Formats: sequence, structure tokens, C-alpha cells
Amino acid sequence: MPTRRPAAALALAAGLIVIAGGVAGLLLTRHPTPAMRPVAAGVAVAALPAPTGPIVAPPQSAAPKPVAAPVSLTIPLIGVQTNLMTLGLASDGEMQVPALSMASVAGWYTGSPRPGAIGSAIIVGHIDTTNGPAVFFRLHELTAGDKIYVKRADGTLAEFRVTSVQTYLKDHFPTEDVYGPVPDPELRLITCDGTFDYATRHYLSNIVVYATEVG
Amino acid sequence: MNFRRITRRLLMLLGASALLLGIPAAATAFASSTTSGTGWIRLAHLSPNTPAVDVYLYSFDNSNAMIVLHHVAYGTVSPYESVQAGDYSVAMRAAGASATSQPVLSTSVTIAAGHAYTVAGMGPESGLRLQVLDDDLTTPPGQTLVRVIQASLKQQEVKVTLGSTVLSGSLKFASVSAYQGVTPGAQTVTVSAVSAGAGDTSSSVTCAAGTVHTLVVLDGASGLEVVNLEDASGSGKPPLGGVSTGFGGTAPHGPGSPVPWLVAIGAGCMLALTGGLRLRRNRQLTARI
Repeated sequence: MPTRRPAAALALAAGLIVIAGGVAGLLLTRHPTPAMRPVAAGVAVAALPAPTGPIVAPPQSAAPKPVAAPVSLTIPLIGVQTNLMTLGLASDGEMQVPALSMASVAGWYTGSPRPGAIGSAIIVGHIDTTNGPAVFFRLHELTAGDKIYVKRADGTLAEFRVTSVQTYLKDHFPTEDVYGPVPDPELRLITCDGTFDYATRHYLSNIVVYATEVG
Repeated sequence: MNFRRITRRLLMLLGASALLLGIPAAATAFASSTTSGTGWIRLAHLSPNTPAVDVYLYSFDNSNAMIVLHHVAYGTVSPYESVQAGDYSVAMRAAGASATSQPVLSTSVTIAAGHAYTVAGMGPESGLRLQVLDDDLTTPPGQTLVRVIQASLKQQEVKVTLGSTVLSGSLKFASVSAYQGVTPGAQTVTVSAVSAGAGDTSSSVTCAAGTVHTLVVLDGASGLEVVNLEDASGSGKPPLGGVSTGFGGTAPHGPGSPVPWLVAIGAGCMLALTGGLRLRRNRQLTARI
């Protein structure tokens, strides 16, 4: 039966190919895929120009003028330009965060002072969506001295300078340092960082950028 | 002799490793002290019958002033300035006096990281002094922290109430009350002279939760005035724990399940084995023919 010979040879070859494919697939998927995030800040690309508008100097009199609500955030060094939504507290007492569909937008916590007023203003944003980067994806690239701008409803601009960038395990989040009272106009930007826990679908750490108003 | 040499080598090795371990430890300590090494200071003139002054802030052993506030009149409190933790001195000179002239008053102040201070000229002109006040930057949960500085010479002793809370039953001129936690909201602050005969002074102040306030009692053009200073502010209701700001789309993925690949390898083996056996049988058949 010579007609069977090519079929048998074909089966042998196909079998060997499938084995090779299986072994390759097995070996390739044994390593975890690395994060999309660049580990170290490369050459910073100034993607955005600094915004313009009247910069409000800190008040010199004893009674500071009321400050308008924040409407947008610009961080030229890491290409962030976003409107600001308002965020409150979730029913479990945790910080409300933008929905997945709004992951490209950052939000100001309305329970904190307004950016540029005395105190620690809080702005949070997502690091990523379910399949790619979100508004604060490159937040970890900021270092002391970098500029952050917040535009307010009355058109005035508040300019901040980064003083430090800290990473904390969420289990050891320093509530007093981040949300506690401070005597000058400051800003804290918060996003996630560190290991992603696939069981709870949450990152285990937060990164907090501390900044003070330039006056 | 040999033993001693070995001992010496061991000690040297131990010393070297201690040095190597010590350097990173020292470096970390340095890094943390530079990231959180700032405190705050503000300057005030709270002496009713003292004319305007120029106030100078010097970093310790540097004769060039860091900050100069010109023509600071009675009742003025500057905003807080953020400065590196360390030793400073504050000097007061008559308004317009040369920066190199002998100051009327001076005092030293040590600024600790994360702490705030008010350096105020207090008392009557005849007994003017620079007082360093340690300012509190923490509030009881959900409350406002309030204190009073009594800087009125017209009424030497006053009682100060905020809503129904007595901040001080008897506060003497040029003294400062202790901090007190109060319920946030819009409330009436009332200052009344302890000695009979003078009327009360009332004004409305609004204190938000998570803020620290100093109420300053001043001599006004007529009667007393109360200045409400918001010293510090934070989140009145701090969110619990960390912030959930990520959906994991850029996180590293763990190794996937090996099962599909193992099944593929198994199937491949079966296929190859079948093909191979057939080939062999075919060859045997061909050979027999």
C-alpha cells in the first residue's frame, strides 16, 4: 500500500511540528511578562508647553483671598494635560476614583483644600486601564523641582514645584502626612504603583508626589 | 605569629564589610533627611504701642538675611515661609533702619522638620519681646483646632468664647491660650473684658474640619478686633487607607497556565508516533514484497 506512505510521513512531520510549537510555547510563557511601565525615567520629552495665565502669588495680608475651584491639570514633563473632575468619598470611606471610562481624567478630592489655598490639595488619577496606560501612567518619572500647573475656574493659574516623590504600601499609607494640615499651599498627586494583585484586582502600593506652590 | 596575622586579617575584613554596609545606611539616612527636612516660620508684630518695624530672618551663622519684611505694622502676621530645618535668628529693627544697624530685638529659633513656628513681637513697647510660638499642625478627627493670642492693651484681660466653647476664661495681655478642639462650622467668637464696664466684641468666624486657626485679639480703632487666621488646612475627612487608582492593564503578568501547551505536546507525540509506526510498517511491507 504505497499510497499510505505520504500520509504517514505527513503525520510524523506534523506531529514533530506540534511538539516543537508546544515546547516553545511552554518555555516562552514560563516567564512573567514585564510591566509596560519604563523602569527608569529616560530622556524626558517636554511634550507640552507650560500653560499661561495670571499666576496668583500667595496673599500677603492676614486674611487670604478665596481661591477658585480647580478645573485642569498640566504636567509638561510627563505629557499630562487633563480636565479635573470632582471626587468625594466612597461609601466604604475610601477615596472615590474616576470610573474606568474616565481613566484619562484626574480628579480633585473636594474634601481637601483647593489647589493654591493654604493646605494640602489632593488630586488623584489612574495609572492604567484594563489594557493600557491611564492619565498618571508616567507620574513616577517626576522628581524634585519639576513643575505642575493647576488652572482654576476663574482662569488663574497655580504653579507648583515637586518637593519629593514617595511610594508607600497601601497597608502602611501615611494618612496624616498626605491628608493632614499644612500651613502653606501644597499639592499631592496620587496614583497606584508596585505589584498588581490579580486576586483582588488592586495594586499593592501608592505613589505620592508632594509639591508646594511657587510664590 | 601566624594566628595573630589571621586575627588581624579577620578584623580588617570585618571592618571593611562594616564600612560597606555603613555607607548605604548613611546614604539612606541622608536622603530621607533631605526629602522631609523642611519646616515653616512666620513673623508677626503684635505689640499695640510699638511703631512699625522691619523684621529680618537669618539662617544661623549667615549675616545675609534670608527674608526681610519691611514696615511691618501692629496686627500684621506674615504667611508661613517654608525653610530648611535648622537654627535661625529673627531680628527687629525700626522701620527704615539700616540692615547693618544694631537690632532693637533678636531671638534664636530652632526649626524642626515638619513643624511650624510663629515668631511675634509681643508686649508693650517698654517691655517688647520676641516670642517663639510652637504651632500645632494636627487636628482631632473631624474637628477644628483653635487658640487665641491676646494682643490688646486696651483690655488687659479678656474672656474668649467660640459658640458655646470657652477658649479662655481669662487671657492676659501678651499671652497665648492652649489649643482646643472645637466643632467645625460658622460660629460667633465673643471677646469680653474680664473687668466690668466694657462691652463685648463679637464677630462670626467659619472654621472647617481639618483646619488649625489662631484668633488674634487686637486693639481696633474703637474697641477690640478679632482676626481669624487659618494657620493650616488639610482634609477634614481623610479617606481611609490607600487609593485604588489602577486596573492592572500595564502590570506585569504572572506565568500563564502550562496545560494547553502540555496537551499540544501530547497530541504532537501521538501524531508523530502514529505517523512513525505507519512508516515503519509500510517499509516492512515493502521489504517483504
